[in-house]
Amino acid sequence: MSIDIFWRIPTHGEPASHRSRTPNRWDLFPGYEGQGRDEVPAGYSYIDYLAEVAHAAEIAGFQGGLIPSFPMTDEPWAISSVLARETRTFRFMIPFQPGFLNPIVAARMTASLQRATGGRALYNVITGGGGPQQLWWGDSVAHDDRYTRTTEFLDVVRGVWRGGPFSYQGKFYQVEEAGLPDPLSKEDFPEIYFSGSSDAALASASKHADFYLTWLEPFAQLRDKFARVREKTTALGRPIKCAVRVDIVARPTEEEAWDEIRRGFDSLDQETVARFSGGPEAGSESVGARRQASNRPETIASYRDLIVEPNVWSGFALLRGGQTQGIVGSYEQVAERLDQLVELGTDAFILASTPHLEEAYRVGEEVLPLIKGRQSLGLRAVG
Amino acid sequence: MSAEFIWQLPARGDGRYGDAAVRRRGERSTPEPSPLGPGLSDPRGVRFNYFDHLHQIARAAELSGFDGVQIQHDPEGDESWIIAGYLVRGTRRLKLVTEFEASWGSSVYAAKNAATLQRYSRGRLAWHLQAGAASKQRQKNADPVPDEGVLPRIGEFLQVARGVLSEAPFSFQGRFFAVQNGGFKDGLDHQPVPQVYLSGTSRAALELAAQYADVHVLPPRPLVELRQTIAALERLAGSLKRSLRYGLRLDLLARETDGEALLDARRLRGQIVGSSATATIEGPGLWNGPLSTRTGAEAALIGSYGRVAEKLSEYQEAGISNFVLGAIPHLEEAYRIGAHVLPLLRQRHRPASTTSSIELGGRS
Repeated sequence: MSIDIFWRIPTHGEPASHRSRTPNRWDLFPGYEGQGRDEVPAGYSYIDYLAEVAHAAEIAGFQGGLIPSFPMTDEPWAISSVLARETRTFRFMIPFQPGFLNPIVAARMTASLQRATGGRALYNVITGGGGPQQLWWGDSVAHDDRYTRTTEFLDVVRGVWRGGPFSYQGKFYQVEEAGLPDPLSKEDFPEIYFSGSSDAALASASKHADFYLTWLEPFAQLRDKFARVREKTTALGRPIKCAVRVDIVARPTEEEAWDEIRRGFDSLDQETVARFSGGPEAGSESVGARRQASNRPETIASYRDLIVEPNVWSGFALLRGGQTQGIVGSYEQVAERLDQLVELGTDAFILASTPHLEEAYRVGEEVLPLIKGRQSLGLRAVG
Repeated sequence: MSAEFIWQLPARGDGRYGDAAVRRRGERSTPEPSPLGPGLSDPRGVRFNYFDHLHQIARAAELSGFDGVQIQHDPEGDESWIIAGYLVRGTRRLKLVTEFEASWGSSVYAAKNAATLQRYSRGRLAWHLQAGAASKQRQKNADPVPDEGVLPRIGEFLQVARGVLSEAPFSFQGRFFAVQNGGFKDGLDHQPVPQVYLSGTSRAALELAAQYADVHVLPPRPLVELRQTIAALERLAGSLKRSLRYGLRLDLLARETDGEALLDARRLRGQIVGSSATATIEGPGLWNGPLSTRTGAEAALIGSYGRVAEKLSEYQEAGISNFVLGAIPHLEEAYRIGAHVLPLLRQRHRPASTTSSIELGGRS
């Protein structure tokens, strides 16, 4: 089976490179209101840039892209429908938390988006990190209960998808003889990438997900994790595939790649670095965030202290929000590391690098062609 | 006060016939044979679907001079938020009045969706909150809120959406929604709260409108009754130190002559009820019944362009300033109404001082 590779849409702003955290590209990222806004050509807005990133990704050979959704970023269903008509092959990966939408409405929204895009919508189902963040969204359901809700939500979306009549008596949702209308019911059900590391998450993923999606972790740890996911989902009769989100810095030489990281790291103030070594965000119930934080050293003097294994740097969250670990190296090295991830069980990637437009072309042209994917494994199995 | 003309965008389908028997325009699915028959080649394949046609209707409304489109909420049709987003890039100045129910989900999430659409449409999004079906039907669709809760939920929904869009930190604890330390920070908070359209004629609906609506859309009723409703709303809103505008939802059947309009009205009506019953449309003017099973309007205005404009003008004098209009097929009729009816109304109501700008292509 071949490997699916996605890119990312920088809804969270676009600095010029990893050396800076300040978005400079039309500067319409909310957090940096004001700077350079006047330079936006009349009649344009940040969506025009996001559209160019989507075009670059589809031209460069990516399946599509994840559209990150945080409290301060744009809403991904809206972004997807806005860009539907002007992209051709780009698949819109929409992260969302089931609790935010009624499942019947979500099914109709999804089917309509499939119709608007020619079947290019897919889900990244997130169940929510909990804590204060969850109440910001207006959601007060407890952590493990939220996974029950996620399972029920997807039960209902799937149940009504082919037109029903579908009835359901859950803890969170009750449905009676509901179904999508024709011709919405003729659309393909979206692929589901599922995020969440806890036991409750895995139980839910086993039932509905196509891909178990994780951030990059130390390779050995990831191998165990994927083995556990496969074991658990196979036991439930529905083995699922595994996917990794990973930021990369790929350059013609390894030296240049690390130099990029060094410059980014050196531009940080001490306080930021000190806070980073302290641990995960207070109050987060996210198991994934805790796992990431546990890999950090107590004191960080140089970017080198954050190199956790060859070509893996665990300071990406310092350079831009989000995940901590990423791959740094020459084109060949990055491709090799990705192939190692394939070997230990990865079936799909969501890659990203800053700036997303130029880097989509760079990675598409220089790294993707070097990735062997399942090819090499197949030969090994035969030999 | 200048009038606003909104054209309806039918979410479920559109066609030439009153009984809505024709498939959604553009819609083809794989196993279906081509309607062109075996003797002809059909280059379309399954490349198009109804979304392509919806896009054309919106463009028709924009090109023919309407101020906005009302994106219909129809549980049997495509979903209105997705349609709204789909139209953002292809339209330039149309207001996108999006119908939906407060049962969609979290009002914070709805506000976030709105903030993005506002950012990229340059503030053209408006919301038309609908009460939705009766409780029995809603309960079947995972919406357990009883009938008495529907309007209060709309109120809370709007309160929370407005809150998170305009202040941070924003907290709210209500019967249907709760937020703690919410509110959009950074740039999303600069986005205008969508204009709010509401409808309904019950006392509770009017009270809700007085509190939250920017535009309250009324059904076509005799002028006397409309004047009374508007006066009642004025009093309610006035006591809250608010003011609102009044809309009317109406279908049009306008032709060059009354005779042609009548002929087509009876033809459409016949396609719904059978040809024997069409005599009930006695003459031109307001017909209190649907001419199409799709549009959802309670009545249609039938007659020559001049007559239709005259009637609309009477509503305007009664206090209506926002017309939500429709007619099938929506594409062709948008061009027709835009070319033949809207100019008559704009001429009639243009203030003297702006005459020259209108002649130069400006708008009243």
